[in-house]
Amino acid sequence: MTSPAPEPRPGAGADAGAPASPAASSSDPFQPADVTWARVSPRLIPVRWILVAFWVGLPALVCAVLAVLLTVWLWIPAGVLAAALLWAVLLIPRQVRAIGYAERDDDLLIRKGILFRQLVVVPYGRMQFVDVSAGPLARRFGIATVQLHTAAASTDAEIPGLAPGEAERLRDRLTAHGEARLAGL
Amino acid sequence: MSDPQTRVPGASADQLEWHRVHPVTPLVRAWAAVLVLLFVLGNQALDSLSSLGEVAGQVVRLWWVAVLALLLFLLVVAGVSWLAWRMTTYAVDDTAAHLRKGILFRQQRHARLDRLQAVDVRQPLVARLFGLAELTLEVAGGADSAVRIGFLRLDDANALRADLLARAAGVKARRAAGTREPAQAEVRDQAAVREQVTSDQQSDAAGVPGAATGVVPDAEAPRDAVAAVAAPVPEPVLEAPENAVYEVPPGRLVASLLRLPVIWIILLAFVGLGVAVGVTRNFGLLGSVLPGLFGAGAYLFSRFAGEFGFRAAISPDGIRLRHGLLETRAQTIPPGRVQALSLTQGFWWRGKGWWRVKVNVAGYGVEGNSETQHVLLPVGPRDEALTALWLVLPDLRTDEVAPLLDEGLTGDARTDRWFTTSPRTARIFDPISWRRNGFAVAERVLLLRTGRLTRSLVVVPHERTQSLGVEQGPWQRRRGVASFAVHSTPGPVGPRVPHLASGVVAGLLDEQSVRARTARAHQPPERWMEQVTALPEVADGRDGTA
Repeated sequence: MTSPAPEPRPGAGADAGAPASPAASSSDPFQPADVTWARVSPRLIPVRWILVAFWVGLPALVCAVLAVLLTVWLWIPAGVLAAALLWAVLLIPRQVRAIGYAERDDDLLIRKGILFRQLVVVPYGRMQFVDVSAGPLARRFGIATVQLHTAAASTDAEIPGLAPGEAERLRDRLTAHGEARLAGL
Repeated sequence: MSDPQTRVPGASADQLEWHRVHPVTPLVRAWAAVLVLLFVLGNQALDSLSSLGEVAGQVVRLWWVAVLALLLFLLVVAGVSWLAWRMTTYAVDDTAAHLRKGILFRQQRHARLDRLQAVDVRQPLVARLFGLAELTLEVAGGADSAVRIGFLRLDDANALRADLLARAAGVKARRAAGTREPAQAEVRDQAAVREQVTSDQQSDAAGVPGAATGVVPDAEAPRDAVAAVAAPVPEPVLEAPENAVYEVPPGRLVASLLRLPVIWIILLAFVGLGVAVGVTRNFGLLGSVLPGLFGAGAYLFSRFAGEFGFRAAISPDGIRLRHGLLETRAQTIPPGRVQALSLTQGFWWRGKGWWRVKVNVAGYGVEGNSETQHVLLPVGPRDEALTALWLVLPDLRTDEVAPLLDEGLTGDARTDRWFTTSPRTARIFDPISWRRNGFAVAERVLLLRTGRLTRSLVVVPHERTQSLGVEQGPWQRRRGVASFAVHSTPGPVGPRVPHLASGVVAGLLDEQSVRARTARAHQPPERWMEQVTALPEVADGRDGTA
């Protein structure tokens, strides 16, 4: 796989000047071959709804009340907030369904996002520690968050909305994998 | 609470030998606080003096009270600092460095030496006056995980550093618990091995064009620490001999700073300010702009002071960097501790062909106090920049890789042979540098090239890849491109290439995780001297490339 001297990579850089063919998108980086994605629990949807209702819906309500009491100008922020709330409420189910993770032999893949998609590949041997956390709201709905930490601060490897049993299983598996493939920094 | 201190030296449960830091330490640490205190007290005394000027007799009496209170306060401070000094002890054994400190809240810290990432000997200005230095062991444990042993006499600090590095390198680890003489003999034996290695690397350095200005022929001079070993280190340890590789003359440093855009911003601000004040006769404008100017000036000065007298040397214990005008710092980065490296050239440095080389070292990043800690070469011509690269990655010093590096530094898609760049569809995202943005794969490293005005080449060894990431926005998806990132430890180097073709990214993601895994399986041991003595085939491989 590795050669002593860097070889010219055929077809990759040479035709960079030419217009890229649409065939390039045929192999999607967000859908690696032979990977089956595990979904997170749908109970994450109501949790996020409640959070959005609290942080966006409540201010919208306050603005609306103040608009009735004080000045009509406050209808503008109220409207904007209400629109954002509606958008978020419609978007959240799709967002939650878009979160996926996959355990491969040597690394864990985490995918999220619909419009702005991101994918993180975390090798088991690189994990420094695993966090399992659940806030009061998440506990009430019976979900937990598993977060992987590597030595890189920029590794954003968080899986929200796992059933507690699944979270524990994942934590134990990750820890076992990490010990088996332990490497230094 | 007071009786633990009676049994501190040498009497702990294990056979560790505990040492104290230098008694002047509290003064060196707290001099600023002491000055501020004196200033405030003096001010208040003056104030009270002037306001109560009419009742002179009372003032005199109050004066004595104030002096008495001050004396009492100083006594308490001195007592507390003396206690703190008494309670601060350190010890070193073959596997870890230990530090105990704190009066009420005792803290014990053990740093595993095989996880040692870097050792810095820092001398702040005040400490220099006393000839003291602080030793910092970076162990990559997150925020504030460094073990700071200080202050010590400079010679002691250097000797301790040599001792720590020898232990961390595994030179002492296999030593049997025998008598003193054989142990010494083995240490010297190992030192001989180190000299052997250094002379190899020295011939490397001598071959580098424009480098190796002060090569010491027989590695005799750098053994400065041998004679000066005092009480803190039980057995004298030979400091690994080193060879100077490059240094940055002050003239070049000043010239490079004058070519920074900050200078032009400052000048423009001054001109604009002059015009504005001249036109409006409103001198209040001065006050509004001055803070910004001070900030810019402070940045320039900190860079000048931090990178002044920059010297780099190579030794078997790793890269040695020395720099600083007011506060001096001597860094030692052992082999294999650099997580990522970047070579950058700002637009205004292009005429001179200057490059700046920065590194990510785990443990440095979280401190964040100074940018200079991450600098491997503040400013230097291309040859020196490549020398700096080869200090970190000697494997890249081959004729096959040279054109690849050339391409990485200055090439773009029109001349590329190895680099894979953004497709033409990415032009709309980055019309200037879409031809530069790209990556190339060598046997041991991944090279990421970005920027046309500010050129940048990032080199990440495969075995230092932490995790990989891909991002894609909606517009990028329509254009069939995605951004690729390699996650490295915190630091100034962020390995990332924007807008590569989706298919290319998918392939790279797959291949790179395999490459990283393979490289990790074959990475050299954490104790870096073990590969020299215990793994001859690795050493052979290195000779083969040199």
